[in-house]
Amino acid sequence: MKGIIFDIKEMAVYDGPGIRTTVFLKGCPLHCSWCHNPEGISPHPQLMVSKASCIDCGACAEVCDFDADPTRCVVCGSCIKKCPLRLRKIVGEVWDSDDLAKELLRNRTILEKNGGGITFSGGEPLAQHEFVLSIIEKLEGMHCVVETSGYATKKIFSSVVDAMDFVIMDLKVIDSAVHEEFCGVPNSQILQNLLYLNESGKPFIIRIPLIPGVNDSEANFEATASIVKDFTNLERVEILPYHKTAGAKYTMLSQDYNPRFDVDQNPHMHTHIFLKQDIPFIVA
Amino acid sequence: MDHIIQELKTFFIVEKGHHAFRQKLDSKSFTREVSNAHVDEYERAYRRLQWVLTHEKPIVFPKERIAIMRTVREIPEIFSESEWNSIRKRYRIHEQGKVSNINPGYSLLLDVGTEKKREEIIASIQHHEANENGDGVAYLRMLLKVLDLIEDFADAYREKAREVGNETVAESFSIIPRQRPKTFLQALQFFRLIHFCLWSSYNYHNTIGRFDQYMYPYYRQDMDTGIVDREGSLSLLQEFFISFNKDSDLYPGMQQGDNGQSIMLGGVNADYEDVFNELSELCMHASLELKLIDPKINLRVHKQTPLSLFELGTQMTKQGLGFPQYSNDDIVIPALKRWGYDHDDASNYVVAACWEFIVPEVAMDIVNIDALSFLHCVMDALPKLVDCESYEQFEQLVRARIFSRVAEICANTNGIYMEPAPLMSIIMKGCVEEAKDIRDGAKYNNYGVHGTGLSSAVDSLAAIRSQVFEKQAITKERLLSALEHDYVGDEDILTMLRYESPKMGSDDDSVDSIATTLLDWFAEAMEGYKNDRGGIFRAGTGSAMYYLWHAAETGASPDGRRVGEAYACNFSPSIFARIKGPVSLIKSFSKPHLERVANGGPLTLELHDTMFRNEESIHKVASLVKTYMDIGGMQMQLNGVNRETMLAAQKSPDQFRNLIVRVWGWSGYFVDLDKEYQDHIISRMELDM
Repeated sequence: MKGIIFDIKEMAVYDGPGIRTTVFLKGCPLHCSWCHNPEGISPHPQLMVSKASCIDCGACAEVCDFDADPTRCVVCGSCIKKCPLRLRKIVGEVWDSDDLAKELLRNRTILEKNGGGITFSGGEPLAQHEFVLSIIEKLEGMHCVVETSGYATKKIFSSVVDAMDFVIMDLKVIDSAVHEEFCGVPNSQILQNLLYLNESGKPFIIRIPLIPGVNDSEANFEATASIVKDFTNLERVEILPYHKTAGAKYTMLSQDYNPRFDVDQNPHMHTHIFLKQDIPFIVA
Repeated sequence: MDHIIQELKTFFIVEKGHHAFRQKLDSKSFTREVSNAHVDEYERAYRRLQWVLTHEKPIVFPKERIAIMRTVREIPEIFSESEWNSIRKRYRIHEQGKVSNINPGYSLLLDVGTEKKREEIIASIQHHEANENGDGVAYLRMLLKVLDLIEDFADAYREKAREVGNETVAESFSIIPRQRPKTFLQALQFFRLIHFCLWSSYNYHNTIGRFDQYMYPYYRQDMDTGIVDREGSLSLLQEFFISFNKDSDLYPGMQQGDNGQSIMLGGVNADYEDVFNELSELCMHASLELKLIDPKINLRVHKQTPLSLFELGTQMTKQGLGFPQYSNDDIVIPALKRWGYDHDDASNYVVAACWEFIVPEVAMDIVNIDALSFLHCVMDALPKLVDCESYEQFEQLVRARIFSRVAEICANTNGIYMEPAPLMSIIMKGCVEEAKDIRDGAKYNNYGVHGTGLSSAVDSLAAIRSQVFEKQAITKERLLSALEHDYVGDEDILTMLRYESPKMGSDDDSVDSIATTLLDWFAEAMEGYKNDRGGIFRAGTGSAMYYLWHAAETGASPDGRRVGEAYACNFSPSIFARIKGPVSLIKSFSKPHLERVANGGPLTLELHDTMFRNEESIHKVASLVKTYMDIGGMQMQLNGVNRETMLAAQKSPDQFRNLIVRVWGWSGYFVDLDKEYQDHIISRMELDM
């Protein structure tokens, strides 16, 4: 079983309990306006260029049939070896689940001794649910976490959640129209899956990327609180205030970063609403 | 911090108000005088301390409780230039020719006071008189005069304290140095006095050692009798810690901050009982709040060390102090015993200025006598690569180079000269009894040799094995010509070697095993050699400043390193290795047989400051450090840094005066470093973690 990933990161300290290795799966059905991992959106390999230290030597253009024009890039990779500073790379590597499981098992002893394991992030891991499940089968019972938007059919969602020991799920905005405007899809499926998650008995965290003018209203805090307040297996809500550095990777993909909200504004923290309803939360 | 500490910190550290009291003196006139007087070296050493202490102008501030600060800027030499030149013709001079970088037995004087010490010396004089050891008797009489100097100096401070109405300081000096301190405060003041007089004797890198052990009885007594509570003790300790920063800009060192004021906390005793105590913890808290580069905190850890201590240490790393540095008792103690240190001495180990393992009171080791460049050994073997039919054959050439370089290094250590160090001799075991100066040796007289460029050498060998022999991606001749031209015109070869060849640090056994092999050879090559002081040679994984010095004299290397590019610092992956991450890294660096190369030299781990954001992530970083020790790591230092912050600090140094970084074995203010050291630290951060 093959799948595509864009990174394996050791010691990702904010991706679940203990010391963990996180696999970033490539491809996501959502297009969130604030996405800070834009290389995780497309399910295909892409060329990424770190332009800040580029010395404009032109070695890349010499070997490119398209004059190093990113809009015409076919991801052949020939420019990569030519760059003297190795500022170019292809993100998106196809792995076989056997090999990936083997690589993840390499640090098993240390991860398990430190209460950790493997986290599947992305992109959207549910978009490659069969691949994820096939890896987990080979992980010999290691502790597994998924970080997900929750956007998938109930069948897919439940199959993945059931295979996990812990879940981190986003709850971006409750108003479906706003959700669709800023993430590209409505959220009814997500909200249903969230209810399933609570009933599944798995411990979980809800993450809210707090975006100025999008979901930082009192009304959204209230709506969020009313959904999560009775959740029995919710460990906590994590609020992640928007940070401007989210846009850093777009230029590396030769894409424009055009968030449709005011990036200079600080999001409002109506956390008193969570406090009032005894909802455990942290601001990361 | 209470208000006294805040005031003292502002005055001494921020405003440096005490610098105004520094005198303009002609220290060269002293040198001329002793040189013309044709007095012997012992007398000169005595007169130097006399010159400094009598020129010192006692300064006591009304609120301080621990006095003494330098007003004499320069400690004079006891030999003129021409005298030094003739000494150099006959002897080898290590660094500045002074006794340095050992751990004095402060408590040998502090616990008894000068009066008892005088009795001890007089008893020894009687013994040596009976044995007609005239030189010994003369030497011991000189030591008595050194005690007089210290007493006179302390008296001058007592009078000054009276004069300015500081009864606390006056009272301390009415007990010490003649008698054993009655309180924790007096003990701290006594330490300050001894330490000050050592620097005034031109001894340098005067390490602090197991302060939490030898000072504990004083702390415990005051706490038990209720003279002072925890807050009060913390305040005293913080004032004491500030004292290490008062004169440190006047201390000799390679860079500002490289002054060897290392303190060693915790660890086990000879019965393998953990001795981390309340005072150890208080020291950590004192440093955590003060955020000063001195004293440099070191922690001894072992299998039973609780995670909570690593967490407290990680809180410190989070502050950006570049310490604590961790040393693993479970590796170091057996390693020292293997080298012939007695069990009790090995169990009592501390670090010298940076990370070299030494033993307090009984060792006159020179832990940084020289350094072997592993990469030089590879480079020296390269011309014969064309004759090699296999990688193994080439590796044997490298082995031969290591053995011959080690032989040269060991032979080149004969005939070391050091100036006499009378005060240091009073506080090193055996000197008073035997009527000999510490510079002539102690119970242990071993020499340590650093090993630099390990990761570059490993990566070079791995590249040769994989690209030349296995994949045959490049011929031997092509490789050699590319190196000769520093890869100019061969950029494809450069990127292949630099970015597409296996690197040490990613838990790849086939690469990491090369490091094990090289280090084993280094250790084996040294076995059996003796130095002319009766000691052995200890191999190590540290680099000190050699990581830049050796690199500067190394041509382009097969790991894709160009002329002028640095080695990694200490025991660390190469600067352009894209390693898999911290977990793979600690695995790689725990694989070699570290107990054989235990002169000292830490794995240096640079972690982005976002990894220290909250309690949970701090817990995880602490777990990582503990894991490294549990799987057999020997020593580790961490930097919690942010590349952008350092780049900004280079641009606007004034706004980043307090930015502290770990350099090679010590913490310094980033903006005080030479640019080449700054740049190296920035490039270390680019390790793709």
